[in-house]
Amino acid sequence: MKTVRMFAFLALLVVLVMTMTACVAPATTTTAPAAGAEVAATEAAPAADAQAPVKKDKYLIGMSQANKGEPWRQAMNDQIAAAAAAHPEFEVVFADAAQNNAKQVADVENFIQQGIDLLIISPNEAAPLTDVVAKAYDKGIPVIVLDRKVNGDKYTMWIGADNQLIGQKAGEYIATWCKDQGHTPCNVIEIRGLEGATPAKERGDGFRAGIAGNPDVTIIASQNADWLREKAIPVSQAMFQANPVVDVVYAHNDPMGEAAIISAENAKIDLSKIAFVGIDALPTPDGGIKSVMDGKLTVTYVYPTGGAQAIDWAAKILEAGEKPPATVVLETEEVTKDNAAELYQKYGGK
Amino acid sequence: MGQTTVVQPTQESSRLSKFWIFILRFQSYFGLIAILVLSAMLSPVRNGHNIFLDPNNLLNIVRFASENGIIAIGMTLVILIGGIDLSVGAVLALSAVGAASFMMRNGLGTLPTIFLVLSLGSLCGLTNGLIITRFSIQAFIVTLAMLTIARGIASLWSGGYAIPLAFGDAPGVAPASFKMLFAGSFTVGGVDIPVQIFYFIGVGLIAGMFLKRTAFGRHVYAVGGNETASRLSGVNVNRVKTIVFTISGLLAGLAALLHAALVNQGSHIDGNGYELNAIAAVVIGGTSLAGGVGTIVGSMVGALILSILDNILGLRNIPSEYQMILKGVLIVAAVLLQRQRR
Amino acid sequence: MLEIKSVSKSFPGVRALHNVSFDVQTGEVHALVGENGAGKSTLMKILSGVYDEYEGEVYWQGQRLALRNPRDAQTQGIGIIHQELNLIPELTVAENIFLGSELHTPLRTLDTKRMDRQAVELLERFNLAIPPNRPVKWLRVGEQQLAEVAKALALDARLLIFDEPTSALSETEIERLFAVIAGLKSQGVTMIYISHKLDEVFRIADCVTVLRDGEYIGTRRVQETNPQELIRMMVGRTLAELFPKETVAAGEVVLSVDNLNLAADKRRSSRSLRDVSFTVRRGEILGIAGLMGAGRTELLETLFGVYPPARVSGQVLINGKPQQFRSPEEAIAAGLAFVTEDRKNQSLIVRLSVAQNMTLAALKRFLSMGFIRFAAEEQAVENAIQQLHIKTPNSEVDVDTLSGGNQQKVALAKCLMTRPIILLLDEPTRGIDVGAKAEIYTLVSHLAQEGAAIVMASSELPEILAMCDRVLVLCEGRLTGEFSRAEATQERIMEAATARQIVRQAAEFEVQA
Repeated sequence: MKTVRMFAFLALLVVLVMTMTACVAPATTTTAPAAGAEVAATEAAPAADAQAPVKKDKYLIGMSQANKGEPWRQAMNDQIAAAAAAHPEFEVVFADAAQNNAKQVADVENFIQQGIDLLIISPNEAAPLTDVVAKAYDKGIPVIVLDRKVNGDKYTMWIGADNQLIGQKAGEYIATWCKDQGHTPCNVIEIRGLEGATPAKERGDGFRAGIAGNPDVTIIASQNADWLREKAIPVSQAMFQANPVVDVVYAHNDPMGEAAIISAENAKIDLSKIAFVGIDALPTPDGGIKSVMDGKLTVTYVYPTGGAQAIDWAAKILEAGEKPPATVVLETEEVTKDNAAELYQKYGGK
Repeated sequence: MGQTTVVQPTQESSRLSKFWIFILRFQSYFGLIAILVLSAMLSPVRNGHNIFLDPNNLLNIVRFASENGIIAIGMTLVILIGGIDLSVGAVLALSAVGAASFMMRNGLGTLPTIFLVLSLGSLCGLTNGLIITRFSIQAFIVTLAMLTIARGIASLWSGGYAIPLAFGDAPGVAPASFKMLFAGSFTVGGVDIPVQIFYFIGVGLIAGMFLKRTAFGRHVYAVGGNETASRLSGVNVNRVKTIVFTISGLLAGLAALLHAALVNQGSHIDGNGYELNAIAAVVIGGTSLAGGVGTIVGSMVGALILSILDNILGLRNIPSEYQMILKGVLIVAAVLLQRQRR
Repeated sequence: MLEIKSVSKSFPGVRALHNVSFDVQTGEVHALVGENGAGKSTLMKILSGVYDEYEGEVYWQGQRLALRNPRDAQTQGIGIIHQELNLIPELTVAENIFLGSELHTPLRTLDTKRMDRQAVELLERFNLAIPPNRPVKWLRVGEQQLAEVAKALALDARLLIFDEPTSALSETEIERLFAVIAGLKSQGVTMIYISHKLDEVFRIADCVTVLRDGEYIGTRRVQETNPQELIRMMVGRTLAELFPKETVAAGEVVLSVDNLNLAADKRRSSRSLRDVSFTVRRGEILGIAGLMGAGRTELLETLFGVYPPARVSGQVLINGKPQQFRSPEEAIAAGLAFVTEDRKNQSLIVRLSVAQNMTLAALKRFLSMGFIRFAAEEQAVENAIQQLHIKTPNSEVDVDTLSGGNQQKVALAKCLMTRPIILLLDEPTRGIDVGAKAEIYTLVSHLAQEGAAIVMASSELPEILAMCDRVLVLCEGRLTGEFSRAEATQERIMEAATARQIVRQAAEFEVQA
């Protein structure tokens, strides 16, 4: 009887999980195209080079996200959805892998089964996702890879930002700022993101390249806070405690920059004397642009998700039959007090 | 739970010198003293001023131990009855989102928010307790399920991004009293003592007193030691378990209030891994995961030890990987010492 | 043969054995008797390799015995069957029997088929038809004990030590065991038999050695001595002083049970109760006799509210008021107390102290404003320790450091703390030495004098006959006999206990002898 109960419970669990994934997978777009029309039967596209546009009235696009738990990736999804709203012939379905490679592979397989016309994917990791992406590509499904990369070249195009460049721009900004403020030396404490991901390394290296122009600028302490605001608070608190003279806080993302501000307030440090640098600049109420607008962060850099661009290129590929470049590097923008309000509007801030 | 009665040779305590026995009895306190001394020695010194021992730094250590400490106190009770609560981090996130939402979107005042958030945490804990007792499902599984459910609800509630908390007296922002109540400080003799410390110590005192001096406390130890014998001695085992889980949820809610006031936001991804930190604090403090053995003070000391570790490594600018390794070593060492004690 | 020469062993503050010497001849059944704390367990632990440090020497089959652990003892051919059962509840019977000496297939996987088969063979020697793949926790205590014996036999021991093997066995099962012992004896196996039951000693032993307070008192050939002499050697007291029964004028009816039925739960292989009716008066000691599995424990548990009300039907009146307890908590509140059959698993919480165990059921007495008054609690605990002569260094030690008899006293003290009007006892002197038994009997008698009603289930007929005012006999869940003190004899009780034909007729039929 115990075994019966166990099986019953297991079965219940399986059913629950299946129904929940079934509820999650279809479109949860914030601005869903109202048409409940059936997706026109798609002939399984055989050859890889059939780029001639077969004009349809409905296109099914699958978006495989690595982890929508992260605000930046949620923003990516939101931007894709918003851009798709302007294309009523596009229906976008979202799948989330919650940082699980195996799940993401399954998600893509699922999409292929459903007969999507185009795949947008932001892979959790490169190697595990390469094969399934190649499979989709070989079936004739155009593949747009966002932000993180896959290996090999079996995809249509990659859209992403250049972390190294962003870091460098931040570094150059600080180099100038230190000179203008006349700080010799100019003490920088760095709060880094999760070391596993390349963004942290690139943002760190880029920064160091950028400050090279001003020999007075020195990084006196560097700690990892996993991209999290709550982790960065005690970390930055300790750094302020250990280093009484701090001129610049360089945080690899905005939440960690905000945390440093909170710590500085707690330590009763004069905020106006310090430059707080962040990255991401999401147009959300808790994002970096708003923070600069409110006069908290000194400067942040837009780390574009590429969501809107992905939809643009999808339209070009599917409807105009264009052959896109293999790589599109997105520009970053520097957000300061002067242009924050305007950029907030531009990026669709709520 | 069937108990195996194995013939064990009685420990000849004449082998251990009296000194060792003394150390083991108070293992967590000695651990605390040891790590304090070590940190003071390793601390960077600036202008002849030992940074680690700076009163502000010490206060910060206790301040940052408070959230984990409060959760660890709830976790101690849960582990004492032989259970575990994996959902505390998620309940904290859910409650923090709730707090931010109530104040920023619904315009509620401080007191209603406090009441609702604590009720929310208690409700999660109560749900855990009821399902565990009514359906006889292991605590591990039920609280694991609550973990994912709470995070999901938090994510839906917040809309996928963190709800920022702005404080002030204007409409549309959260009341400043909230910030002061949960992230402010009391000036005592010229020193600013952060309020978190008062909550930490207060909860610890109340919990410790209840555990030692009430019938309920005795029942907690009894249930953890042997459920059957407890039941036959007239203890309402299900009621004890349910109450304990409810308290765990309640304390997670309280920690959420502190958390939201500190980070100025309610985010559904916050509190990740907090349950493991709490368990680490409880284990380092000398509580046995089998149940029936342990103290509140031990867990508080465990939380302090973890916070000191964070602090000294940060002061010395040592990468966080070392902190993770050291934490793991500490946990195993604590369990070994605890086993020696028996 | 086994030669024990000047063996001594001490623990901090306790001298467990002092200069004990005697011999055991090959192939004889040698009984070892003595009170608790006499040193029997310690000596057995030395022989079975649990203790590796002691003074003196032991020679087995001419060789000096130098055991480092129980496994060494097993390889030397020494097997021990413990009083406190050594089985793993979650594993099956076969798995337990072969624990540590599993049989493997040529492929080095576990040969469960062969182990199951051999387990069945072993058990058949006891006429025990238990499926080898049943988890041990589903067996009743008596069946578990037999499985324990089977386990020792599986290891092919040449010296077998039995530590109180029959304390939870029914008459038939004891017969089975004795048959096995006789069989082993004819195979030349040497056996040491520790028991409190002198009648057993006189039945199967060739020799008997008496220990007292760690000292060797003497060895006798069983034909050349008698129980009185043995008891005198063990405790320095006479038999008559052991059962101090005072006649008490019984008062009004305090417990009345009418057509009590308990639905069977097939999983637990426990019997149901069928239409059981009886009354108990104040000051009365009512005995419940019957074979193992007849429903004695179930009866007491039902009265105590252990089973969900859905499974219980019939009427129970306490002081005239109908009661139906949904939990032991309610039963205790109504004035009942229950001393369980299995104290280690059901009565006591081993990690708590003596004091904490004692007061667990009666904490309400010591509360003021919700907080425990430690002074009052201490006082009550000290009183109980005095009254019951509990041997313990103090009340703060863990309860599992006490001997079996003293643990039982603690369990009893716990029940008495609630000042019950009805006391339910299940095998109250199981595994307890003669001296402690006497103390418990005195106590029970005393309680009856003070007006408590006592219901005592026991498999020791001498105990029932000596202590009880009336005896009820259960057979397969039905009441098959009711005797007054004058009417009760061992034969009549046994007859009622085995009266299966009557039970099968399934009628309200009561045997009046």
